[in-house]
Amino acid sequence: MWNSAEIESLNQNFQVMSKLNKIARKSTWVDMTAFVDVSFLILTFFMLATKFKPPEVIKIDNPKSVSSDKVDDKDVFKVSFDAEGRVFISFSSDKDGKEKAQLTAEVLSRQKGLALTPAEISTFIKFSVGGIGVPVEKLKSFLALSDAEYKTYKQPGIPVQDSSNNQLDSYINALLTGTGGRKPANVMLNGDNGTKYPYFKNVLAAFKKNGIFSFKLITSLEGVPSGTPLYKKQNTPAK
Amino acid sequence: MASIEESGGGGHKKGAGVKKQARKDARVDMTPMVDLGFLLITFFIFTTTINSPKAFKLNVPDDTAKDDEQTEAKASGAFTVLLSKDNNVFYYEGQLASDGSNFKSSNFKEIRAEILKKKANTPEKDLVVIIKPDETSVYKNVVDMLDEMQIADIKRYAVVDIFPGEVELIKATQGSTAPPAGK
Repeated sequence: MWNSAEIESLNQNFQVMSKLNKIARKSTWVDMTAFVDVSFLILTFFMLATKFKPPEVIKIDNPKSVSSDKVDDKDVFKVSFDAEGRVFISFSSDKDGKEKAQLTAEVLSRQKGLALTPAEISTFIKFSVGGIGVPVEKLKSFLALSDAEYKTYKQPGIPVQDSSNNQLDSYINALLTGTGGRKPANVMLNGDNGTKYPYFKNVLAAFKKNGIFSFKLITSLEGVPSGTPLYKKQNTPAK
Repeated sequence: MASIEESGGGGHKKGAGVKKQARKDARVDMTPMVDLGFLLITFFIFTTTINSPKAFKLNVPDDTAKDDEQTEAKASGAFTVLLSKDNNVFYYEGQLASDGSNFKSSNFKEIRAEILKKKANTPEKDLVVIIKPDETSVYKNVVDMLDEMQIADIKRYAVVDIFPGEVELIKATQGSTAPPAGK
């Protein structure tokens, strides 16, 4: 790489430099190396310890609970309801979730005579990650929206108000018909603090009607109050 | 990059020029790198989430089960909690007295002590907590109360529809004590 003449000239330069440095005025140069080290350490921490926020179409403020179980993100069927009582369904973005979203769309299209095209079904799969909350009869026009329009469109929510028109039941029924009765591994309910109880009851009713009795409620963690039976249980070593 | 230019340039210049060039040291200006580093940190802080949500397991009974298969709750071991608007909590032990004399008002802070008292005074196999949210209660109340069941380590509890008589009692209580008992 370097020939001997160049090395010679460099050596001379260094000698000149070392002599000069002794008399040169103090430099205002700050050594940033440590700063860079720290900043990249923090950067690495954030990259490893966090994950990206899912696209938020629905604003939901979860209640707190003492439960500390992790939320699975594989094969999820999630029903969300916000403070206004709008109900949304969503599927996880992994292979199982996409497959179930596709089956749901196909069966729903057949059962309700929506005649969804393959393109609309793939839009359904795409939108289902963020959440779908439209009545069955509006589904076709909803699936014509572009990605940008989807983000700004205020979805009315799936009607669950009365038992005669509980359309969440139709969606769940389509899902289970599509999979041949195979239930998603994780059925999750993602509710807002301010949702009125009747909406929650109707969501449960739609699930019960389709034979799903086991759920995971999405909550954020809070500490177990000390002195309570659960606290004692957790803090006594297992026999 | 800088060092190559230095040595190349140093050869051509003479006198003062040589000295000037030589004074430059091999340190690299890190400021843009720091800028970039912190820009990326800011980006990650804003776009990511640290506290991942937790799952709270809930199993509900099958309503369609035949009457004779339904578990009968022993009246003496029952503890009924009613949830209403503005985070109001009402409760009664056993069966509701016809005159409503054992119908008491409480709140989310105090109900835990009542549940624990009931738990201590009742044989474990008889104890069952019945949660009855009314139409005006919110999802948070229900989850909080289910959470209380976890905290108090109650094995048997159920979420049940409220009776019209109980709704009347709640209304009467809320009406009489105009500012809800928020002690």
